Amino acid sequence: MNVPEYSAAAVGAAVAVAVLDVKRWRSGLFRMPAYWCTIGICLFFMVLVNGWLTKLSAPIVRYAADEKTPWRFPFDIPVEDYFFGFALLHWVLARWVLLGRSRAHRVGAAR
Amino acid sequence: MDRYQYLLLMAACAFGTLPLEFVFRARVYRRPRRLLGALALPLGAFLLWDAVAIARHHWRFNGRYVTGWELPFSVPVEELVFFVVIPICALLTFETCGYVLGRTRGRDDAGRPGARVRRARAVLGPDTAEPGR
Repeated sequence: MNVPEYSAAAVGAAVAVAVLDVKRWRSGLFRMPAYWCTIGICLFFMVLVNGWLTKLSAPIVRYAADEKTPWRFPFDIPVEDYFFGFALLHWVLARWVLLGRSRAHRVGAAR
Repeated sequence: MDRYQYLLLMAACAFGTLPLEFVFRARVYRRPRRLLGALALPLGAFLLWDAVAIARHHWRFNGRYVTGWELPFSVPVEELVFFVVIPICALLTFETCGYVLGRTRGRDDAGRPGARVRRARAVLGPDTAEPGR
Protein backbone atom coordinates (compact mmCIF):
# COMPACT_ATOMS: atom_id res chain seq x y z
CA MET A 1 0.00 0.00 0.00
CA ASN A 2 1.36 3.39 -0.97
CA VAL A 3 1.15 6.25 1.46
CA PRO A 4 -0.14 9.33 -0.39
CA GLU A 5 2.74 11.81 -0.49
CA TYR A 6 0.77 14.96 0.27
CA SER A 7 -0.92 13.30 3.26
CA ALA A 8 2.42 12.16 4.66
CA ALA A 9 4.08 15.55 4.07
CA ALA A 10 1.21 17.51 5.62
CA VAL A 11 0.93 15.39 8.78
CA GLY A 12 4.72 15.22 9.05
CA ALA A 13 5.08 19.00 8.80
CA ALA A 14 2.37 19.64 11.40
CA VAL A 15 3.86 17.16 13.88
CA ALA A 16 7.38 18.48 13.26
CA VAL A 17 6.35 22.08 13.94
CA ALA A 18 4.44 21.13 17.11
CA VAL A 19 7.28 18.97 18.48
CA LEU A 20 9.98 21.50 17.58
CA ASP A 21 8.02 24.22 19.33
CA VAL A 22 7.46 22.25 22.53
CA LYS A 23 10.98 20.80 22.69
CA ARG A 24 13.17 23.50 21.24
CA TRP A 25 11.60 26.88 20.41
CA ARG A 26 9.44 26.98 23.57
CA SER A 27 7.15 29.76 22.37
CA GLY A 28 4.56 28.73 24.96
CA LEU A 29 1.81 29.24 22.37
CA PHE A 30 -0.11 26.12 23.39
CA ARG A 31 -0.59 27.61 26.87
CA MET A 32 -1.80 31.01 25.64
CA PRO A 33 -5.56 31.73 25.51
CA ALA A 34 -4.84 34.19 22.69
CA TYR A 35 -3.40 31.33 20.64
CA TRP A 36 -6.52 29.15 20.94
CA CYS A 37 -8.68 32.18 20.17
CA THR A 38 -6.57 32.68 17.04
CA ILE A 39 -6.83 29.02 16.03
CA GLY A 40 -10.61 29.11 16.33
CA ILE A 41 -11.01 32.27 14.27
CA CYS A 42 -8.46 31.19 11.66
CA LEU A 43 -10.15 27.81 11.34
CA PHE A 44 -13.46 29.50 10.59
CA PHE A 45 -12.01 31.78 7.92
CA MET A 46 -9.81 28.99 6.57
CA VAL A 47 -12.93 26.97 5.81
CA LEU A 48 -14.29 29.89 3.78
CA VAL A 49 -11.07 30.72 1.90
CA ASN A 50 -9.85 27.15 1.47
CA GLY A 51 -13.36 26.10 0.56
CA TRP A 52 -13.34 28.65 -2.24
CA LEU A 53 -9.88 27.57 -3.45
CA THR A 54 -10.66 23.87 -3.56
CA LYS A 55 -14.36 23.71 -4.45
CA LEU A 56 -14.74 20.96 -7.02
CA SER A 57 -17.32 22.89 -9.05
CA ALA A 58 -14.73 25.51 -10.05
CA PRO A 59 -11.41 24.66 -8.38
CA ILE A 60 -8.51 27.12 -8.27
CA VAL A 61 -6.26 24.35 -6.94
CA ARG A 62 -6.65 20.78 -8.12
CA TYR A 63 -5.18 17.82 -6.28
CA ALA A 64 -3.89 14.54 -7.65
CA ALA A 65 -6.28 11.90 -6.33
CA ASP A 66 -3.55 9.37 -5.58
CA GLU A 67 -1.36 11.73 -3.53
CA LYS A 68 -3.91 12.42 -0.83
CA THR A 69 -6.73 10.72 1.04
CA PRO A 70 -10.20 10.92 -0.51
CA TRP A 71 -11.49 12.71 2.60
CA ARG A 72 -12.75 16.24 2.06
CA PHE A 73 -14.59 18.23 4.76
CA PRO A 74 -16.46 20.50 4.80
CA PHE A 75 -17.30 21.55 1.25
CA ASP A 76 -14.48 20.03 -0.81
CA ILE A 77 -11.54 20.88 1.45
CA PRO A 78 -8.94 18.09 1.56
CA VAL A 79 -8.34 17.19 5.23
CA GLU A 80 -4.60 17.42 4.57
CA ASP A 81 -4.97 21.18 4.11
CA TYR A 82 -5.69 21.60 7.83
CA PHE A 83 -2.32 20.08 8.71
CA PHE A 84 -0.65 22.21 6.03
CA GLY A 85 -2.34 25.33 7.42
CA PHE A 86 -1.48 24.48 11.02
CA ALA A 87 2.21 23.98 10.15
CA LEU A 88 2.37 27.32 8.35
CA LEU A 89 0.49 29.39 10.90
CA HIS A 90 1.92 27.85 14.06
CA TRP A 91 5.46 28.26 12.74
CA VAL A 92 4.88 31.95 11.91
CA LEU A 93 3.14 32.64 15.25
CA ALA A 94 5.94 30.92 17.17
CA ARG A 95 8.58 33.01 15.41
CA TRP A 96 6.56 36.17 16.03
CA VAL A 97 6.31 35.42 19.75
CA LEU A 98 9.99 34.49 20.06
CA LEU A 99 11.15 37.59 18.20
CA GLY A 100 9.02 39.76 20.48
CA ARG A 101 10.48 38.02 23.51
CA SER A 102 14.10 38.40 22.44
CA ARG A 103 13.45 42.07 21.86
CA ALA A 104 11.94 42.41 25.34
CA HIS A 105 14.98 40.67 26.84
CA ARG A 106 17.30 43.07 25.09
CA VAL A 107 15.29 45.93 26.53
CA GLY A 108 15.59 44.32 29.98
CA ALA A 109 19.33 43.78 29.54
CA ALA A 110 19.77 47.46 28.75
CA ARG A 111 18.93 48.38 32.33
CA MET B 1 -11.46 38.96 -14.75
CA ASP B 2 -11.61 35.27 -13.89
CA ARG B 3 -7.85 34.91 -14.03
CA TYR B 4 -7.48 37.37 -11.15
CA GLN B 5 -9.74 35.30 -8.92
CA TYR B 6 -6.98 33.83 -6.71
CA LEU B 7 -5.30 37.24 -6.37
CA LEU B 8 -8.60 38.94 -5.59
CA LEU B 9 -9.33 36.36 -2.90
CA MET B 10 -5.97 37.19 -1.30
CA ALA B 11 -6.70 40.92 -1.61
CA ALA B 12 -10.03 40.36 0.17
CA CYS B 13 -8.18 38.61 3.02
CA ALA B 14 -5.61 41.40 3.29
CA PHE B 15 -8.16 44.22 3.24
CA GLY B 16 -10.66 42.35 5.40
CA THR B 17 -8.13 42.02 8.23
CA LEU B 18 -6.59 45.48 7.84
CA PRO B 19 -8.94 47.14 10.40
CA LEU B 20 -7.48 44.87 13.11
CA GLU B 21 -4.21 46.75 12.77
CA PHE B 22 -5.87 50.01 13.72
CA VAL B 23 -9.15 49.33 15.50
CA PHE B 24 -7.66 46.71 17.84
CA ARG B 25 -4.14 48.14 17.75
CA ALA B 26 -2.67 44.89 16.53
CA ARG B 27 0.55 46.63 15.43
CA VAL B 28 1.69 43.95 12.99
CA TYR B 29 2.39 46.05 9.90
CA ARG B 30 3.91 48.71 12.14
CA ARG B 31 6.55 46.27 13.36
CA PRO B 32 8.05 45.47 9.94
CA ARG B 33 11.33 43.97 11.16
CA ARG B 34 9.62 41.53 13.48
CA LEU B 35 7.06 40.76 10.78
CA LEU B 36 9.75 40.05 8.21
CA GLY B 37 11.66 37.96 10.74
CA ALA B 38 8.57 35.89 11.50
CA LEU B 39 7.58 35.39 7.86
CA ALA B 40 10.83 34.84 5.98
CA LEU B 41 11.80 31.31 6.97
CA PRO B 42 8.31 29.74 6.74
CA LEU B 43 7.79 31.60 3.45
CA GLY B 44 10.93 30.07 1.95
CA ALA B 45 10.16 26.60 3.25
CA PHE B 46 6.57 26.60 2.03
CA LEU B 47 7.55 27.93 -1.41
CA LEU B 48 10.03 25.07 -1.61
CA TRP B 49 7.31 22.62 -0.58
CA ASP B 50 5.05 24.16 -3.21
CA ALA B 51 7.71 23.77 -5.92
CA VAL B 52 8.29 20.13 -4.99
CA ALA B 53 4.55 19.40 -4.82
CA ILE B 54 4.01 20.98 -8.24
CA ALA B 55 6.95 19.06 -9.72
CA ARG B 56 5.65 15.80 -8.23
CA HIS B 57 2.10 16.59 -9.43
CA HIS B 58 0.52 16.68 -5.96
CA TRP B 59 -1.47 19.69 -7.05
CA ARG B 60 -1.81 22.06 -9.96
CA PHE B 61 -3.48 25.38 -10.59
CA ASN B 62 -6.48 26.04 -12.73
CA GLY B 63 -5.24 28.30 -15.54
CA ARG B 64 -8.63 29.91 -15.64
CA TYR B 65 -8.32 31.46 -12.18
CA VAL B 66 -4.63 32.40 -11.96
CA THR B 67 -2.79 35.16 -13.78
CA GLY B 68 -0.17 32.88 -15.30
CA TRP B 69 2.62 34.97 -13.75
CA GLU B 70 5.05 32.43 -12.41
CA LEU B 71 8.06 32.27 -10.13
CA PRO B 72 10.85 29.76 -10.83
CA PHE B 73 9.81 26.07 -10.75
CA SER B 74 6.33 26.90 -12.07
CA VAL B 75 5.12 28.32 -8.74
CA PRO B 76 2.32 30.82 -9.46
CA VAL B 77 2.96 34.28 -8.02
CA GLU B 78 -0.39 33.88 -6.24
CA GLU B 79 1.22 31.28 -3.99
CA LEU B 80 3.86 33.76 -2.86
CA VAL B 81 1.07 36.20 -2.08
CA PHE B 82 -0.77 33.46 -0.16
CA PHE B 83 2.26 32.66 2.03
CA VAL B 84 2.58 36.36 2.92
CA VAL B 85 -1.07 37.39 3.29
CA ILE B 86 -2.46 34.40 5.20
CA PRO B 87 0.23 34.43 7.94
CA ILE B 88 -0.29 38.20 8.32
CA CYS B 89 -4.03 37.58 8.81
CA ALA B 90 -3.15 35.07 11.55
CA LEU B 91 -0.73 37.48 13.23
CA LEU B 92 -3.32 40.27 13.18
CA THR B 93 -5.84 37.86 14.69
CA PHE B 94 -3.35 36.77 17.35
CA GLU B 95 -2.50 40.31 18.39
CA THR B 96 -6.19 41.23 18.41
CA CYS B 97 -7.05 38.21 20.57
CA GLY B 98 -4.27 39.18 22.97
CA TYR B 99 -5.53 42.75 23.10
CA VAL B 100 -9.18 41.83 23.61
CA LEU B 101 -8.49 39.05 26.14
CA GLY B 102 -6.08 41.29 28.02
CA ARG B 103 -8.70 44.02 28.27
CA THR B 104 -11.64 41.84 29.24
CA ARG B 105 -9.58 40.33 32.03
CA GLY B 106 -9.12 43.78 33.50
CA ARG B 107 -5.40 43.26 33.87
CA ASP B 108 -4.50 46.11 31.60
CA ASP B 109 -2.87 44.35 28.66
CA ALA B 110 -0.85 41.88 30.69
CA GLY B 111 -2.16 38.89 28.77
CA ARG B 112 -1.27 40.37 25.44
CA PRO B 113 1.75 39.18 23.53
CA GLY B 114 4.36 41.87 23.63
CA ALA B 115 3.17 43.11 27.03
CA ARG B 116 6.69 42.75 28.37
CA VAL B 117 7.95 45.19 25.79
CA ARG B 118 5.33 47.70 26.80
CA ARG B 119 6.07 47.20 30.49
CA ALA B 120 9.73 47.80 29.73
CA ARG B 121 8.73 50.87 27.78
CA ALA B 122 6.72 52.13 30.73
CA VAL B 123 9.69 51.65 33.03
CA LEU B 124 12.50 52.72 30.74
CA GLY B 125 10.80 55.31 28.57
CA PRO B 126 9.81 55.18 24.93
CA ASP B 127 13.36 55.42 23.58
CA THR B 128 14.27 51.92 24.74
CA ALA B 129 11.06 50.35 23.49
CA GLU B 130 12.21 49.65 19.96
CA PRO B 131 15.84 48.58 20.06
CA GLY B 132 17.44 48.06 16.71
CA ARG B 133 15.34 50.65 14.96
